[in-house]
Amino acid sequence: MKAFFSIVSHELKSVRKEKTIMFAILIQLFIASFSSILLVGLMAFYDPDSIGQNTNIDLRVGVIGDNQNRFTALLRQRNLHVRAFTDSDEAERAFKAGSIDTIVFIPDIKNNILEMKLVLPEMDSRATIVLMVLRGPLEQYENYLRKQLGVQVRYGDMGGKPYTTYEFLYTLIIPVLMFFPAFVAGSMVIDSVSEEIQNKTLATLLSAPVSLNLILGAKISASIIISMLQCFLWALLLQFNGFAIQNPVLVLAFSMIIATTISLTAALISMLFRDRERSQFIYSIVVVIAVGVSFFLDPSPFGMIARLATGDHYLNAGHVMLYVIPLIILGAIFPVLSKKVLPKVV
Amino acid sequence: MRNILIIAKHEILRFSTRFRGKSRFAVIIIALAALSIFFLISTGGSVLSKGFYAVGITPGGPKISDQRFSVLELQHADGLAMLNNKAIDIYVDNDRAFYREDQKSQYAAGALKQYLAKKELVRISNEYDIDRAFPLRVEINYLKSATNNSTVASASLSEIIGGANTASTTEPDSGDITAVPLAPTNATDAAVKLQLADLGDESKLHQFKAEFASNKEIVIPSLMNPPIPLAQVLLAFFYVVPIFFIIIFFTSSFIEEKLNRRLSILLSAPIRPAEIIVGKMLPYFVYSVIAVIVITIFFQGNIPLALAIFLPVILFIFGVYLGVALFYRTFKDQTFFSMSAVTLVTVFLVFPAMFSGINDLSYISPLSLAVQMYRGEPFGLKEYLFSTGPMYLVFILSMVVGIRVFNEEFLSNFKPLYQKLSEAIYLALDKRHITASIFIFTLLLIPAVVMFQLSAIIFAFNLPMPSALWVLLVVAVIVEEIAKSTGVAVLIKNRFLKSWKAALALALVSAVAFFLGEKLLLYFSLSVISESVFTAALYNTNLLWMPLAIHVVATTAVCLITYRLGARYYLFAILMGSAIHLTYNISVIGMRP
Repeated sequence: MKAFFSIVSHELKSVRKEKTIMFAILIQLFIASFSSILLVGLMAFYDPDSIGQNTNIDLRVGVIGDNQNRFTALLRQRNLHVRAFTDSDEAERAFKAGSIDTIVFIPDIKNNILEMKLVLPEMDSRATIVLMVLRGPLEQYENYLRKQLGVQVRYGDMGGKPYTTYEFLYTLIIPVLMFFPAFVAGSMVIDSVSEEIQNKTLATLLSAPVSLNLILGAKISASIIISMLQCFLWALLLQFNGFAIQNPVLVLAFSMIIATTISLTAALISMLFRDRERSQFIYSIVVVIAVGVSFFLDPSPFGMIARLATGDHYLNAGHVMLYVIPLIILGAIFPVLSKKVLPKVV
Repeated sequence: MRNILIIAKHEILRFSTRFRGKSRFAVIIIALAALSIFFLISTGGSVLSKGFYAVGITPGGPKISDQRFSVLELQHADGLAMLNNKAIDIYVDNDRAFYREDQKSQYAAGALKQYLAKKELVRISNEYDIDRAFPLRVEINYLKSATNNSTVASASLSEIIGGANTASTTEPDSGDITAVPLAPTNATDAAVKLQLADLGDESKLHQFKAEFASNKEIVIPSLMNPPIPLAQVLLAFFYVVPIFFIIIFFTSSFIEEKLNRRLSILLSAPIRPAEIIVGKMLPYFVYSVIAVIVITIFFQGNIPLALAIFLPVILFIFGVYLGVALFYRTFKDQTFFSMSAVTLVTVFLVFPAMFSGINDLSYISPLSLAVQMYRGEPFGLKEYLFSTGPMYLVFILSMVVGIRVFNEEFLSNFKPLYQKLSEAIYLALDKRHITASIFIFTLLLIPAVVMFQLSAIIFAFNLPMPSALWVLLVVAVIVEEIAKSTGVAVLIKNRFLKSWKAALALALVSAVAFFLGEKLLLYFSLSVISESVFTAALYNTNLLWMPLAIHVVATTAVCLITYRLGARYYLFAILMGSAIHLTYNISVIGMRP
């Protein structure tokens, strides 16, 4: 047992010395940062309501035509500045001078149809934002016009909150943050094992009174410890940022199960293929397949983390325990398999 | 040339022995499985959020076939009770929805509302005439505004809104725009029908348009699609994935040589380092090009255009990974270098491309060009140069440094990273033409600086606005100061410079080089990118001599302090120089703390 811990601490030290863990955390920070630009940027497009709520856009709309119209009232409701024009030249001057951002031309309704015209700044990213902000009032106005024609649109006033940010965070970012350390852990196990094999230091280690499985076990444990540390830090960081992870114990336990499974598999791959190049290649393909196959499970590991983190009513420790079964099987055959490849290795 | 081919041949041999016999078979099987699963997933829809919300519905209520919702059929009383127990997040009783005050329930309501609203559109479009179901149509028009410097002549406002002068006057007192332009109804009807066709088709990803809305396009508010070219970006990313797999073998080729001590033999042979590097690169480069061609054929794209776009991307990735191969010290190093490289390259290429057509800044990634290619959109030479130029430059820089540091002592030492870096720079500089090489070195660093600053912009998005700008200013200045002075600092560290005058002269050269490069880039990018607050903050223009002066002052300060105190105080020197630079920038921008 003493030998086991000394190998574990040796592995941990070597990671610390090479500052690799800093790299890993930096990468994850990078991913998280990019997700926030996604939230601000991309998600607004899917969620026209959120752009009005999350951002403080001061939009000035020039209206020509029937400015007592219900549409202008809807614009004002959203705190947009509405300026009425009676003359198109005047409106154009204001637009070119930059005192209004967009012009809405509202003609009379003909044959039940209102053919509005919207003028946007040319070659400008503001055009997209203007259109995004106006989309909400336009939709409301459309429903109003439908109502006038006797078309009832249901569920329009259901309320609720713009959900994209929430969904994105819990179904993508949190699972990625919880699993990424596990993928890194597997990669580290491969490096560690294949380095020993290729440098022929494994033989030296084995001549000392430690068994192969002890060495592998220690290496695997070290990488699991590192990955769990990262998961824990992420959970903490998310908590600080106001994104509560429900069931934190189950979430972390589940990440640990995944990390262990991946590390065991990675160790087997590295023993089987021996050189780092092939092992890493095979490992990355296997991870891709595993991630792909996992989506066919219900709940899939990604979905499981997502639902656990939001405090799903129907998931409990039992569901998490289901994932322990393959792990136990893998753990049971691991010593046998690794012994089988041992003679070839040394 | 012959030597290159010999090494390339050797490399192909090595590559093929990796996967021989059983393992080749296994690899093919595994790769095929990975591909087919990827395909299944990509057509499978939103698998990530399956069963994310629990919804209760009255018997006979709306049918919900979105995987995100796990649906229970419940009587009214049961539904409300379960809602209170938090067993479901929302309960829908015919037209009414019940939900709690907590976040999850609120978000569930928001998500369900959007889903049901979409279904409502399908329903009303089936039940009613097209003009009753979609009574509002908006024609998008673009007009030159005050803030942009576009040269495209656009129509005047009265032309836009008064297109049909023949239409009857309905509002006598509204000036000269009284004419109500009523295009024949069937014109806008056609647009509605076209957009309705997209609505019904759930299986495919959104149909993408060049812009959110193009000029004269008819938009139906409730049928507007988000302008994210997700499908094309995914498609463009397909090109990059095989390159990532191929590159594993390129980098590991170096570590194997190192371990087998074969590198020293190779280096003692009459072969130049450039030949070794190019020879090792060549097979993998060819594989990557083949991959690009195959993918283009598969997606029925334009092969010459795809090559023009992805050749620089391939070179860029090879350039980055050459750096990885030369700098790693151990296996674990390599893994993390490679991982950071994969992440950074992916992020740098993919995320900007998401915004293509929305923001011109997206042109920093060549994938934006690929997105446009697959949308059947033309792009100009300027855009091409803007997005691929940095790629070529990174490759050239990496090659130059790689060839110069390619000696056994450098490749096999275990010094800390920053020392290896400074060693690499020292080796890369041509000591016989030191002025010219400092000049070129600084010039070549500019794309890297720009990429770093652009990433900083993205990081800054995390912060609230005024502090984001501050962080950005500080980071930008520090990065610039480092870029301008590293060359000289490395020379000082290696005691190459004999007097402070020499240090001063080289600092001057470096500052001028940086200034010229920056202005050149500015000239290029301003013609591509429309200005934003951030870019304006980064490259304040107008005044020409002051920026040059401040570059010179700051850089000479850094170099002289480093010369005086020694290379160990380089960090301190950088901070001093940055402080000078920052003070100037702040006074120009006129920001007050």
